[in-house]
Amino acid sequence: MYLKELTELDGVSGNEQQVRDFINQRIKDKVDDLRVDVLGNLIAYKKGTKGRRKIVLAAHMDEVGFMVTNIEEDGTLAFSPVGGVETQVMPGKVVRINGKTIGVIGYKAIHIQDKESLLKPLSVEQLRIYIGAKSKEEASKQVKIGDYVAFTTAFDQENGRVTGKAFDDRAGCSVLMDLIEKNDRYEDDLYFAFVVQEEVGLRGSAVVVEQIHPDIVIVIEGTTAGDDPELPEYQWATHLGDGPAVTFMHRGYVVNKKIYEAILNVAVKYSIPHQAKRRTAGGTDAARFARTGAGTAAGVVSVPSRYIHSPVSMIDLNDYNNAVLLLQKILEEGEAFAR
Amino acid sequence: MDVKELIKELSLLDGPSGYEAEVLKVIEKKIEPFVDKVWYNKVGTLVAEKKGFGKGKLGIFAHADEVGHVITKIEEGLFARLEMIGGVDPKIMFAQRVRIHTKNGVAKGVVGVLPPHLQKEEHRNKVPNFDKIFVDLSCSELGKYVSVGDICVVDMKPVELNGKLCGKAMDDRAGCASLILAAQLLQTLRNYQDVYFVFSGQEEVAGPGAVSIAYELKLDRAIVVDVTHGDVKVPQFVQIKVGEGPAICVGPSIDREFQSKLSEIAQKHNVKTQIEPAPGRSGTDTDEIQLTGSGIRTALVSIPLMYMHTPVEVVDPKDVEETARLLALATTVE
Amino acid sequence: MIDLIKKLTEAYGPSGREEEVHNLILQELEDHIDGYKFDNVGNLLVWKTGSSGKKVLFDAHADEIGLVVTNIDEKGFLRVESVGGVPPHSYVGHRVRFSNVVGVIYVEGETEEERKKNFTNLNLDNMFVDIGAKSREEAMKLTPIGSFGVYDSYFYRNGDLLISKSMDDRIGCAIIVEIFKRIGKPHNTIIGTFTVQEEVGLVGASVAAYTLVPDVCIAVDVTDSSDYPKSFKRHSMMLGKGPAIKIKDRASISNRNIVEKLVETAEQQKIPYQMEVLTFGGTNAAVLQKTRSGIPSATVSIATRYVHSPSETVSLNDVENTVELLINYAGKGV
Repeated sequence: MYLKELTELDGVSGNEQQVRDFINQRIKDKVDDLRVDVLGNLIAYKKGTKGRRKIVLAAHMDEVGFMVTNIEEDGTLAFSPVGGVETQVMPGKVVRINGKTIGVIGYKAIHIQDKESLLKPLSVEQLRIYIGAKSKEEASKQVKIGDYVAFTTAFDQENGRVTGKAFDDRAGCSVLMDLIEKNDRYEDDLYFAFVVQEEVGLRGSAVVVEQIHPDIVIVIEGTTAGDDPELPEYQWATHLGDGPAVTFMHRGYVVNKKIYEAILNVAVKYSIPHQAKRRTAGGTDAARFARTGAGTAAGVVSVPSRYIHSPVSMIDLNDYNNAVLLLQKILEEGEAFAR
Repeated sequence: MDVKELIKELSLLDGPSGYEAEVLKVIEKKIEPFVDKVWYNKVGTLVAEKKGFGKGKLGIFAHADEVGHVITKIEEGLFARLEMIGGVDPKIMFAQRVRIHTKNGVAKGVVGVLPPHLQKEEHRNKVPNFDKIFVDLSCSELGKYVSVGDICVVDMKPVELNGKLCGKAMDDRAGCASLILAAQLLQTLRNYQDVYFVFSGQEEVAGPGAVSIAYELKLDRAIVVDVTHGDVKVPQFVQIKVGEGPAICVGPSIDREFQSKLSEIAQKHNVKTQIEPAPGRSGTDTDEIQLTGSGIRTALVSIPLMYMHTPVEVVDPKDVEETARLLALATTVE
Repeated sequence: MIDLIKKLTEAYGPSGREEEVHNLILQELEDHIDGYKFDNVGNLLVWKTGSSGKKVLFDAHADEIGLVVTNIDEKGFLRVESVGGVPPHSYVGHRVRFSNVVGVIYVEGETEEERKKNFTNLNLDNMFVDIGAKSREEAMKLTPIGSFGVYDSYFYRNGDLLISKSMDDRIGCAIIVEIFKRIGKPHNTIIGTFTVQEEVGLVGASVAAYTLVPDVCIAVDVTDSSDYPKSFKRHSMMLGKGPAIKIKDRASISNRNIVEKLVETAEQQKIPYQMEVLTFGGTNAAVLQKTRSGIPSATVSIATRYVHSPSETVSLNDVENTVELLINYAGKGV
């Protein structure tokens, strides 16, 4: 399990280098082939004992974050979100720019806000990153327009739960790495695709199909959990503690029926806890895989994660471990899976 | 080639998305002398090809289409209704002369507006939309031939404003002009890579023009030349200035190494450029070109422009020339 | 053909669950095709080989809009979300058919005031489905989470008008089936694709043309008919005026050459037709045209009243004329 290492790296969409290098180092001796494609996707290959089908397991390396879009005269940085970050999670956070410069997203003290601004929701136009520079000139020595900005949350583990940033989708990356480390051979040829730019429109996955022409894709995600006191139970998408979530439909794609049912069957066969993802909002790379090239039958297995797209998200380690187990059993099924 | 005359000539041509053939014909004639061969793909994209002395395939893209309109319905009394092609703000439509391409020739029309004397509060406070907009065809002999599906553009002849050029369709005929000029520059500079100048259609409606040819040519790299908002404050964003050279884009749709290389070339040869951040999509063909086939390394170079998608788009011809220089230089290296 | 339309429109086939529709089509086409296959995402592809070496693809989507079960309460009532663009008001007090059970949809509201509010702001979040189950367990057996439902509606003929759910796009399916039945030995190879998951985002059609690589694609789909009281004022499409040859909608612009060929064919054969500009919506042509290195594509539409309601209404005359137009086009086309 590499959740700590992976989530403490910076990898905002379009700038996944740190994550890619880390994964590359850890898995390179355990796979038969490894390549980085034009967009920056890292694709590892393990030959199957029969090799009649090609199965892709995909997780995305990128996370939501920001980009520096202007340097102000006073040395603060104007920024814009990369991927879907809500303004409400921005103020009062520590960020890292371009992998080195530390800054904070400050906001004026409660004492000096008038009533009106206290009651009004924030907009990103009101926020700046402060790096301690006194002027545009000084700031420009350390940062430049176009630099990527990531949250800097330290990983924490206690009480069977872990908290940190970017479980969407470093959780998926870690699951894939665990599967690679088991170092087993399965019947089908396996491709582990660590893809880029999911958060900005399912982009990295778009070029994977033409490189591999897979028969089946399973996307492994860190997905929305809604089990908090502010939301009625019937509106939760998933919840923590009852196992990995299996998706039947999400934005832009109804999951291939055969794959959906095959995943459920494996979970039932080995009594692995699991839940249906019960909302159809949000999308994953599965929609892109289905729609690209000659098309691919794609399924989705997710680790439920509270508070995603914020600097502190939370998962349950049992769910994580059961996701690994479920996928391992799926692979062990070999050619019997989704026949 | 006189850059101003070239831009003006291209601006005058009518070619909303899907109906660019006449524009492409003119471009074809202009670029043909500078390249090895010109041809069209299945969906009407024009390619001008020039072999290099080294290796690698570089595509340089500009779109030939412009935003425009199409007739949706004919009303009694020689009036017609419009739908936009691409994103057009209805606010700029009132009291414009329009040209409508009918089977029998170009008909004239006027987009009518209620005089202030007849307006009531409800008229003044309403934001105009295309449901309220109509074209009066009674001033045209050909008005009776106008029918559903006919293509319509705002009638606008380019004007010069203190050295800057103003007209319709500068987005992206200014880009087209820079490609033609770059091809001309390659008569003296020698291109290392095989270069494909691509003039595509249907950019404004996310059509197949650019992606189809990117897929077909199996390019190693692509530079897209489009326009960007100049001399206007966009909240949170650095201001791009008209007349200060093309803006080189940074963001997820752009290959970082290719972009840095382009910036280096610019610096080395004193080509004035600016940096434009695009944290999400760039809103140009770059976004999809990058994802064709197994992926293509992309860069985006944008000509600063004021009043985008209106009939009075403004560009500085110097920016077009600087863009051409940058493009030509980019073909000479590995 | 009326029987065929009845069978196809009454079949169960929400996005992602198109098997029943596909099986019906295959039964109908048994003796009329040279081959068929299902591709990776479940599209049904059929073909009849011609002698010219050219290939014309006709596409209709097999799926229809629907609902999917996302939650079940302890008393056995279901919560649902929409599959495709479902207007919730079409469901109030109506029935929804799952693969093996029918339910009633209604609206929550503990007070008259709340009820009234919910009726005016209809939203699936405050609606539920009653399948007559007495407990969560019983409901889970009948309609487990992830079960898909469709309008429980039936086919009805009213003179020239045909009324049913899912004319969008079983009428297109019926037209393509009819083309294969009526055409003997075709000049050009004819491919029929009955694509999946159009309503959730043109999924099937994005890949349907990839393997067979046709020379042209024509999507056959429904369009808004604007001939009922206070219908969309900028639209000109009407029932009974013949197939609608699409110029544009919000997702694509039909290939100009195909449009011209269709018009020419209709005029030569004296088949009534109308031109279509739709100010919203989109069809599979938007993605078919981007397959591989681009495929010229267009849409031919059937004017339809009340699209996405349980009573989508078309004209039989239009349907017959569309079959004739497309058979004639397929003969020359390309």
